[in-house]
Amino acid sequence: MLNIITCFKWVIDEADIKADAATRKLLFGRAGYKISAYDRHAIEEAVRFQEQHGASVAAVTVAPPSAKKCLKDALSRGPDSACFVNDPSFLDLDPSQTSSILAAAVRGRIKFDLIICGEGSDDLYAQQVGPALAERLGIPCATCVSKLTYAEDEKHIIAERRLDDGMETVLVPLPALVSVLPGINTPRIPTLKEVLGAAKKEIFNVALEELGDIPGPYLKTVEVVAAAMDRRGIRFSADEEGVRSAVNALFKEGVLSQGVL
Amino acid sequence: MDGIWIFAERQEQTLELLNPGRSLADMMGVKLAAFAADGGLAPEYIAHGADEVFVLPPLLPGQPLESYVAVLADEARKRTPGVFLIGATPRGKEIAARLAARLNTGLCSGCTGLHLRDGSNVLEMERLMFGGKAVQKVLCSARPQMATVLPGTFEPAVCLPDRKGVVVEVHSASSSEVRIVSRSARHREGADVTEAKIIVCVGRGVESEEHMERVRELARVVGGEIACTRPIAEECQWLPEEVYLGISGKRVKPDLYIGLGVSGQIQHVAGIRESKVIFAVNRDENAPIFDAADYGIVGDMCRVVPLLIDELGRLLKV
Ligand SMILES: Cc1cc2nc3c(=O)[nH]c(=O)nc-3n(C[C@H](O)[C@H](O)[C@H](O)COP(=O)(O)OP(=O)(O)OC[C@H]3O[C@@H](n4cnc5c(N)ncnc54)[C@H](O)[C@@H]3O)c2cc1C
Ligand SMILES: Nc1ncnc2c1ncn2[C@@H]1O[C@H](COP(=O)(O)O)[C@@H](O)[C@H]1O
Repeated sequence: MLNIITCFKWVIDEADIKADAATRKLLFGRAGYKISAYDRHAIEEAVRFQEQHGASVAAVTVAPPSAKKCLKDALSRGPDSACFVNDPSFLDLDPSQTSSILAAAVRGRIKFDLIICGEGSDDLYAQQVGPALAERLGIPCATCVSKLTYAEDEKHIIAERRLDDGMETVLVPLPALVSVLPGINTPRIPTLKEVLGAAKKEIFNVALEELGDIPGPYLKTVEVVAAAMDRRGIRFSADEEGVRSAVNALFKEGVLSQGVL
Repeated sequence: MDGIWIFAERQEQTLELLNPGRSLADMMGVKLAAFAADGGLAPEYIAHGADEVFVLPPLLPGQPLESYVAVLADEARKRTPGVFLIGATPRGKEIAARLAARLNTGLCSGCTGLHLRDGSNVLEMERLMFGGKAVQKVLCSARPQMATVLPGTFEPAVCLPDRKGVVVEVHSASSSEVRIVSRSARHREGADVTEAKIIVCVGRGVESEEHMERVRELARVVGGEIACTRPIAEECQWLPEEVYLGISGKRVKPDLYIGLGVSGQIQHVAGIRESKVIFAVNRDENAPIFDAADYGIVGDMCRVVPLLIDELGRLLKV
């Protein structure tokens, strides 16, 4: 039987983040949290393996203890158990620390043949933690995976990678790590029964003291400001006159001059 | 701990990276080196600013480009570069992430700007976070200071045909447990959106082939290229993947971006924010695209697009 780990991140909902136009400061106010979008696809892919190949699935996250809510959310999506690697200091980690912590938490503690990550996290979108974790565990990896197949009793997976110049199909011996793109599947919406069932599933806590030395951080954030978006925001009506005024405005900008002789 | 290193999947990205690479090398008083998988490219890289070109050993059949991670890591341990810039293509991003893990250093992914902190050899690197809502500036405390740089961020380096440089053969062997079974190139339909001066971008507000026909007509009238949001490429598959714009798609800098039925979620806006002028049509007056637009029309695109075609057609005489 395959043992699968799926890594997910609990992130602030970026749609809730406001910005102060004058100071370009980000205002987090009442921002909500969610499972990072690509990671819902990572969890779904692991659960698909569980259904098709009888795999066991452990969902793993690195977060501060305040993120505890994420466990039930993740478990309601189908994994058999969750591993909560938590410490109050696990806030704003850099990708190298996150991958080191994940590696230390998994190594010798959770049995796995396959690790499934998302291609990038909603907040940092570093696209690093997956391949860096593979390196730290000394296993092969494939990124940008849009289709995954496994023939039972074989010691490898076949992954289709979507690259910028085309598709590439690769054979990866297990144990391995893949990071997946959203096109790989459509995550299910948990039913009420699944939500209630999540409360009964097993949760392992792993504390910082159990992890040994974690190197880093290597990246120091010196500034985070709202991206500048100084646009004029001029509106026109949808009738002929409005359209004419809009087109005139574009001409005045000089951006339509091609085509004109 | 010195030297600026460059590695990119393709020649044009290497030429782009040689541009900031050359400036940094001059300011820091160090050498600039570029990797080439094909020794034939060495003279060109030297002409574009490289002091050294490291020619990589050929990959064995079935080995992906990522197999160079071991080679690059060995070289970096031996020669200790201070800065390592890698082209942020899908393969480049994987290579960089694994390399940073092997070398125990930090990596600024999807870097959009690089500066030296005043009077120091410390790079201040800029990138987007929160789906494009914010700009993050980072410093790297270990060496090499690594960054993956998005294609199109820099102009290609200037070519000085008389420049001299050294070609060094790299001998350590590449290795990979990942084996390529097959590959299919993506055939390009239409022009490169990153080069277009005018972009007509469609979102989910486009509901039918009939809408699409009118959008094509509009694009023809203004002489623009058609692009789209991610769901139009990925879910509907109405347009090819290489024309969706955004943080995980292409980033463009046209003179004019026309968004039709695009909601303007931050991940999409991140790819168009450097457009000179943004014009949007959306029937929802609260759509976020209007916050990102210079000009907007609140209305049904089925009605507005034909009016635009008429008016523009008249003025542009097409
Ligand atoms: C990590 C991550 C990365 C992402 N990267 C990208 C990316 O790179 N690029 C990208 O595009 N998206 C990206 N997305 C998705 C993004 O968040 C949005 O979901 C997507 O951009 C929405 O596309 P849309 O505007 O076409 O669709 P919708 O959000 O569904 O908007 C459709 C709009 O059309 C309008 N409309 C409908 N009918 C009409 C009509 N008849 N006339 C006029 N207007 C009409 C509606 O009012 C609505 O505003 C990413 C998401 C995540 C989580
Ligand atoms: N804190 C975390 N806990 C568990 N998995 C994570 C965490 N951060 C990132 N990941 C995984 O790594 C992937 C890439 O994240 P990133 O490198 O931040 O873009 C995510 O899609 C997750 O699968």
